[in-house]
Amino acid sequence: MAQLFGVLLLFLVSSGAALHVQESSLKGDQQLRKIPLTRTLRIPLIRTLDPLGATGPSRPDSAAMAVWPGAMDEPPEGPSGFDVFEDGNLVVTDPLSRRLALYDPQGTFRRSWHLEFASDSVTVTHDGLMLVREANTGQTHVFDQEGKPRSAGAHELPVQPPARILSGKSGTISTSVPMGASIAVRFEEPGSALLSLESLAIDPNRGIFVAMETTAPEGGADAISLRKTVRRYSLAGALLSETSAIPLDYYVLPIDELRVRKGVVYQLMTTRSEVRINEWNTN
Amino acid sequence: MPLFKRLLLRLLLIGTATSIWPQTGTIARLPTTTRAEILARARTFAAHTWKCGAANLNASCSKTYKSDWKPGQVITGVPYNWGGFDNPDAFDRKLARGAAAGAHSRNGVLSCTAGIDCSGFVSYCWGIPLTAHLYGTTNLREIGGKPKYNWFTDLKPGDALNKSGSHVVLFTGYNPDGTINICEASGSAARVICHKTTWSRFKGYIPLQYKGLDE
Repeated sequence: MAQLFGVLLLFLVSSGAALHVQESSLKGDQQLRKIPLTRTLRIPLIRTLDPLGATGPSRPDSAAMAVWPGAMDEPPEGPSGFDVFEDGNLVVTDPLSRRLALYDPQGTFRRSWHLEFASDSVTVTHDGLMLVREANTGQTHVFDQEGKPRSAGAHELPVQPPARILSGKSGTISTSVPMGASIAVRFEEPGSALLSLESLAIDPNRGIFVAMETTAPEGGADAISLRKTVRRYSLAGALLSETSAIPLDYYVLPIDELRVRKGVVYQLMTTRSEVRINEWNTN
Repeated sequence: MPLFKRLLLRLLLIGTATSIWPQTGTIARLPTTTRAEILARARTFAAHTWKCGAANLNASCSKTYKSDWKPGQVITGVPYNWGGFDNPDAFDRKLARGAAAGAHSRNGVLSCTAGIDCSGFVSYCWGIPLTAHLYGTTNLREIGGKPKYNWFTDLKPGDALNKSGSHVVLFTGYNPDGTINICEASGSAARVICHKTTWSRFKGYIPLQYKGLDE
């Protein structure tokens, strides 16, 4: 009986430890590290499509990407997807020119790859391939860094660990390390409520990056108003840092809004005149 | 029954009838519909499969028209057509007659293209007959009121998220992670799609609930 009790006790303790990791509360003089906007890359020259078709899409060697300003009841269209390679190079979709454009970490144009379709999203895999989504069909195509098509094979878009909102002040994000664990997320800003959680990245060396959308404390009785930040947690669930508010005044709505690579949070913001890549360095 | 009582009864009946049906300046009486019907209509647009023929790649009324599609391509989703208000059946008929499949504002105002735009889509899902494109994002408030409930937690399937002069989508549900599901006639996707999205794209939007809802 004592043995059975001991086994049962051991099972309960290990189950509790494996299933849930509490968000460690900050004690004493610990303060949450706030990460300001570190840098903004400005990719120069956005061309507006000529409605009469007098000017064609961007030349393959052109740094300029195309945007269409839209019209009454039609939002603008333009670069809406991006990702970051392991070396810090950036790939951005240019759907109106039917191409992908590559920039170095300083935002200097390197090259482009012609596509037979308009793409609105791109994801870089761990082995450097590009999963490119066709905007008009949702189909995913695979390309290498020479722009050559590759078979889909085992390449699929990564699945985000599931998240759950429990209340206006708390939620959880599942993680894969350790198996079956979850991070507890608490949000306790007066006058504001937690709206959504999204796991952006799990970095074995740097932790877990979570995007949070919350109601804006300043109100919003006339229209929807909200804030968005990215938090970094340790793998043990300790809250390490939080970015400043992510700008949400999108001119062209992004499909790939945020990416995280090596502790840097990247945001795609296409404006009327340029493509901006905002960076928050959490290292 | 004495005459004055018959007249009084008729007046009461007329008064009751007119108070049931909301009135607008554009449509005298809004057709009533349920949330389930709204969602069902949305799904017919998003699930509609069609094939692009060679004739549908060209717009007979425009020399500069550029199609989003390829010959023989099979597509799921009624195409986005700026200014358009075709339901799936009307779209199929126009396609068969050689209309171009979809268009954007950069193609101009065209009479020879088929498909639907964002406000036409939401209007039709709400049950407004598509005899003409009556409602855009700037006057959708005539048939949709701001919900009294919490916009972030209590939206109901069939409500809309509208930004005047810009865009409107149909809300269809919440996800456990707090993100939402919508259906929309999307210019960037070139067709009607239903998908998951975050709240960040809706900054500045206003939720609307159809005034002709039968709940």
